[in-house]
Amino acid sequence: MDRMSVQDRSPQDPAPAGAQPRSLAEELRARDDASLAALLQARPDLITPVPSDLTQLATRAGTRASVIRALERLDRFALQTAEALAVAPDPAAYDTLLALLAGDEGDPDVTDALPHALATLRGQALVWGADDRLRLVRTARELLAPSPQHPSPTGLGPTVTEATAGMSPGRIQEILATAGLPTTHDAVSAVASLTALFTDRARMRDLLDTAPADSLDVLSRLVWGPPYGQVTADPAPRLRWLLDRGLLLPTAPGTVVLPREVALHLRAGRAHRSVEPSPPAVVPVGTHRPQVVDATAAGQAYTALATVEELLKDWDEGGPAVLRAGGLSVRDLKRTAAALDVTEPIAAFWVELAYAAGLLASDGEADERYAATPAHDEWLELPAAERWTRLATAWLTATRTAGLVGGRDTKDRTLSALGPGLDRSAAPEVRHRVLTLLATLPEGAAPSADSLTARLHWERPPRGTTPQTSTPQTSTPQTSTPQPASPQPASPQPASPQPPADDLRTRLARWTLSEAEMLGITGRGALSTHGRALLGAPPTATTPGAELAAAASRAGRLLAPLLPEPLDHVLLQADLTAVAPGPLERPLADTLGVLADVESKGGATVYRFTPGSVRRALDAGRSASDLHAFLAQHSRTPVPQPLTYLIDDVARRHGHLRIGAASAYVRCDDDALLNEILADKRSQGLRLRRLAPTVLAAQADPATLLDGLRAMGFAPAAESAAGDVLIARAHAHRTPPRTAPEPVPDGPPVPDATLLRAAIRAVRAGDLASTTPRKPAPAPAPTPAPARGGTLPRTTSAETLATMQAAVLTGEPLWIGYVNAEGAASQRVIAPVRVEGGYVTAYDHTADEVRTYPLHRITGVAELADDPA
Amino acid sequence: MNGPLIVQSDKTLLLEVDHERADDCRRAIAPFAELERAPEHIHTYRVTPLGLWNARAAGHDAEQVVDALVEFSRYPVPHALLVDVAETMDRYGRLTLSKDPAHGLVLTTTDRPVLEEILRSKRIIPLVGARIDQDTVAVHPSERGQIKQTLLKLGWPAEDLAGYVDGEAHPIELAEDGWALRPYQKQAVQNFWHGGSGVVVLPCGAGKTLVGAGSMAQAKATTLILVTNTVSARQWKHELVRRTSLTADEIGEYSGTRKEIRPVTIATYQVLTTKRKGVYPHLELFDSRDWGLIVYDEVHLLPAPVFKFTADLQARRRLGLTATLVREDGRESDVFSLIGPKRFDAPWKEIEAQGYIAPADCVEVRVNLTDAERLAYATAETEEKYRYCATTDTKRKVTEALVRRFAGQQTLVIGQYIDQLDELGEHLDAPVIKGETSNAQREKLFEAFRQGEISVLVVSKVANFSIDLPEATVAIQVSGTFGSRQEEAQRLGRVLRPKADGHQAHFYSVVARDTIDQDFAAHRQRFLAEQGYAYRIVDADELLAEEEA
Repeated sequence: MDRMSVQDRSPQDPAPAGAQPRSLAEELRARDDASLAALLQARPDLITPVPSDLTQLATRAGTRASVIRALERLDRFALQTAEALAVAPDPAAYDTLLALLAGDEGDPDVTDALPHALATLRGQALVWGADDRLRLVRTARELLAPSPQHPSPTGLGPTVTEATAGMSPGRIQEILATAGLPTTHDAVSAVASLTALFTDRARMRDLLDTAPADSLDVLSRLVWGPPYGQVTADPAPRLRWLLDRGLLLPTAPGTVVLPREVALHLRAGRAHRSVEPSPPAVVPVGTHRPQVVDATAAGQAYTALATVEELLKDWDEGGPAVLRAGGLSVRDLKRTAAALDVTEPIAAFWVELAYAAGLLASDGEADERYAATPAHDEWLELPAAERWTRLATAWLTATRTAGLVGGRDTKDRTLSALGPGLDRSAAPEVRHRVLTLLATLPEGAAPSADSLTARLHWERPPRGTTPQTSTPQTSTPQTSTPQPASPQPASPQPASPQPPADDLRTRLARWTLSEAEMLGITGRGALSTHGRALLGAPPTATTPGAELAAAASRAGRLLAPLLPEPLDHVLLQADLTAVAPGPLERPLADTLGVLADVESKGGATVYRFTPGSVRRALDAGRSASDLHAFLAQHSRTPVPQPLTYLIDDVARRHGHLRIGAASAYVRCDDDALLNEILADKRSQGLRLRRLAPTVLAAQADPATLLDGLRAMGFAPAAESAAGDVLIARAHAHRTPPRTAPEPVPDGPPVPDATLLRAAIRAVRAGDLASTTPRKPAPAPAPTPAPARGGTLPRTTSAETLATMQAAVLTGEPLWIGYVNAEGAASQRVIAPVRVEGGYVTAYDHTADEVRTYPLHRITGVAELADDPA
Repeated sequence: MNGPLIVQSDKTLLLEVDHERADDCRRAIAPFAELERAPEHIHTYRVTPLGLWNARAAGHDAEQVVDALVEFSRYPVPHALLVDVAETMDRYGRLTLSKDPAHGLVLTTTDRPVLEEILRSKRIIPLVGARIDQDTVAVHPSERGQIKQTLLKLGWPAEDLAGYVDGEAHPIELAEDGWALRPYQKQAVQNFWHGGSGVVVLPCGAGKTLVGAGSMAQAKATTLILVTNTVSARQWKHELVRRTSLTADEIGEYSGTRKEIRPVTIATYQVLTTKRKGVYPHLELFDSRDWGLIVYDEVHLLPAPVFKFTADLQARRRLGLTATLVREDGRESDVFSLIGPKRFDAPWKEIEAQGYIAPADCVEVRVNLTDAERLAYATAETEEKYRYCATTDTKRKVTEALVRRFAGQQTLVIGQYIDQLDELGEHLDAPVIKGETSNAQREKLFEAFRQGEISVLVVSKVANFSIDLPEATVAIQVSGTFGSRQEEAQRLGRVLRPKADGHQAHFYSVVARDTIDQDFAAHRQRFLAEQGYAYRIVDADELLAEEEA
């Protein structure tokens, strides 16, 4: 890792064994434990499962999946360094690499940043070897080196050697001659001579000085990539001039390429149009006083608490139903948004936040609904600052992302709040990173979202994007000449023009900014003091406990004094409103919430007393005098007379009418008789209650009551609803008109005699026909391959792979057995096109389209037998 | 962070009145927030886009608004709200209507994309003419009002700098003999005149007519005054003759009965909006003279067709007078775009504090229906219910008791039902003024009441409209037009005129308990309370008991 020491040890020599590692495994073996630990930490996929030895570790570090994963996690400059290494000779010296990155003129920033980037790549085991023999891990090289299928982000083409591989020696010698070089004996030395010319800046400059202007124009269009162009069979003179000198080399009929060496010369040695050795700064757009930031954030933090409480209170008596696929229906989300007076995306955020904090969950009943958890009740008891830290830490570490709600998944299903498919494993890391970047700004400074996302892009470039090579594409080379001979950019575009604005990390970052604001971690876009304190811990799931908790409690302590102190009073007004000029103590808020309707929320709460709301309080068991005392106790101002009057007026009428349920009644004009019944012990089972002097209500049904009273020796008569005496007579119970059930026979109906006779005759006739002796017919042709009969071909996986790869080369169709995801086996005839990464891409003759099959699903493969017509 | 203001999430502002900085705060937020409720402790203001644009029109910028909110707010103001305020205000003035010497009326923008956006709107296309340059487009002069209305609906209110025609000159002076415009009236006239056109908001009884007269004296041009009804028209005429150099001959009345067109013409909304065979036959009134000023009385009642005519009058100065900008039909935006932004606003209580309006003691008296009446009420048809409960006999007893209590003071008994009023008149031995009373008779009775020859007058809803009874100290309302707040304001206005002897005004509503009468009363009471008039509720039994004691 220390460049100087390595160089000191072995300057030029082909080093003795041991001094220069011959493989990655060997180099890893030479590393100390700390650096190995760092490697494994950076690439945790290497130790699942734990490799048996370093060779296995090195092998695993070279697997395609693992390398891709590691490359994706590189920052832009490290990635550019790796890309430059991939287009450099293998192995490359440090200075070669530096030249590729910094160009011929050199770039002090690159010079400063390169050792660090190289150290990163080495630490990740993507680069190994001493500084004079830097090697990129082979898989990484394959991934990053330019090829027609996978254009490099550098926009460079193949080397002269690669591009001339299939060229006739005579043609190469012609090129040498035209380029003004002496002819050589063989093609290899000719190519070397040509390469030497192209890499020699001075000679190359002389050569290009002689070029016609429009030829140079062609070169300038191809120089930054894509390096491929299309030509007709009879190229124009300006192209002819280039082709003759090898400055463009044919790759396939009609296609030419700008060789890498030429492009590098034209680029003054730079592999990238623009290198970004240092991360772009996060630019503040506004600066507020830290006190303002903290106060705003604290205000928002309080709102967050209030909103979550309100949400769960709203769902207190039976929350919304759980969709069958999981999650909250769009309608319920709308309703919740309306109840919280926010937009739906914001409502989704609060719902998801409460869910992530464990405050709500599905109740798991048959008729599944969302409801508050027991943890919610505990949470409510906590002091405000602790309640906030619970929410904030839950948000920081959650992989669920509310921002996705309302979008569609890959199968075009709507993603619903609380539903499946909302987990994004990158979310906690992005949140933490965004906040950390905010923390690097001076206190009170709010960053611009664009500069923040630019920084995140640099730190981990979105897949498939390389903004630096992209900007002015040579998209329309046919500027003046209408002839089709001008080079056209070949079909596979090497780089998508701009990083898609909606790549996941950018969206996560934007959500983070808005969510942090809503949670009160930031205020006016700037990180608050308590937000800063929250950042103490890294977001890794491996240390969820102590460190994060400590940071959270620090944040809580900072936040606590900023939160508004709950008030114990309200202001009552003659227009029958009560204004709570701040948050209220919970018991007060609860009682007031019953006694009055909330009219407006925010810093203060406005309550309105209505006859309905007062009645609600009376229903809840309060008496009028309770309410008077309550208001007098909590009002800073005298209780207005109309309010007192309202309460008394509602109380006066409350409970005036009484409602109850009875199953039957006993009515009698003689109250003495009713007294007698009540006094009789035998009547207890009937649960009689006196409603009026002449009326008893019973909980027993009329029949039981009649029987009971008869048993007691009375002679009661039943009464109809209209009050008539019912004639007590045994009453036959009848259904409404009904048809008899249709018989359900077991099996087919029994055939009748005619049918039977006809059937027997037919059977006999058939029997006779088959048993009559006749001449033998010619035997049918034997089936050529037993496979056609239905058994799947079976070969070992190695055999399968080998046969496939062979078929790719020969282009021959194969016959495979294939088991699909549901386990159903089938046979297909395919013509493999490409085998990579455990998949075979092939033209499927059976389906008549190009498909991709996982190799492990292929049971076996067989070559097609020549079909005997 | 201990200000008097609390900013709510629904964009209402709560102002704690007793706070030491409440006055400063009120002044700071008044330009952009509408006072919605003003009960005794906490006043509620509302921030609306129109309010913010009104502020912009009056020359305030977003920074002032944000500063006011941040400075006086007790709790941190949500960032989103501040951003929203700034963005809303920023939309005003990007488009300007002005006079171009070469092209006539043009719409100019300072922000090209906005112009592009609005020119793509289907509703704008028919209103504009040729594109003059990238930032300017010609507007058909006749569509000046229409385009302002449409632009406001699109959320890009245009600033109208196209100026006004002077109109036909006519000498008008204020005849300030023994009286003078009150300071706030002067201020209102000045603000209006400098703004060009707009609305002046003053409470009932604060002298809106005089603001109109002052503006006319400023304009010195022929004036068209639009008022709600004939009584109000006469009222205006009377005031103008008294307060200005105008003579009765110079003032015409254009109503259902008379069709006079004079240098100053007072027309009623009703006659203008009369439709015959699908056309408005009286529209030519607008074109009959080269009016220099158009005054709209009670803008909040302006009927919809008048908006349509007003759209064509954008080149004339327009003055709107009202007690409240809140319209029940939500057409505040049309008032803003067609008549003009709010130019002056003074809250009720403040004018009362200056002694221009009398303070009032509002009492609701609840009477119990007798058992027989309750049964009758319960079985009455829905449309008859109100009549039953509003005319209960008990009300008569209470009214009599109240009249006795205030014997010697000028008392008005106001009601809805003629039978009830006749009966009351009989029992109180007081004259009754109702619809069928002839004008001469009315005038005679009013005059006698003014002179103190009669101390009790029973009036029907004819009193709802602008009759001036300056010396009424006590008003007793026995029945009303359901729950109309408008009516409540008018009736309260009857007793709010300042009293010569500084007597406190009394306003009694007699209400039948547990009936819809009580529900309607609750609606009106809320209005009173929101205007800052604390009221009490007393039981009729108590009141009668006091009487006997």
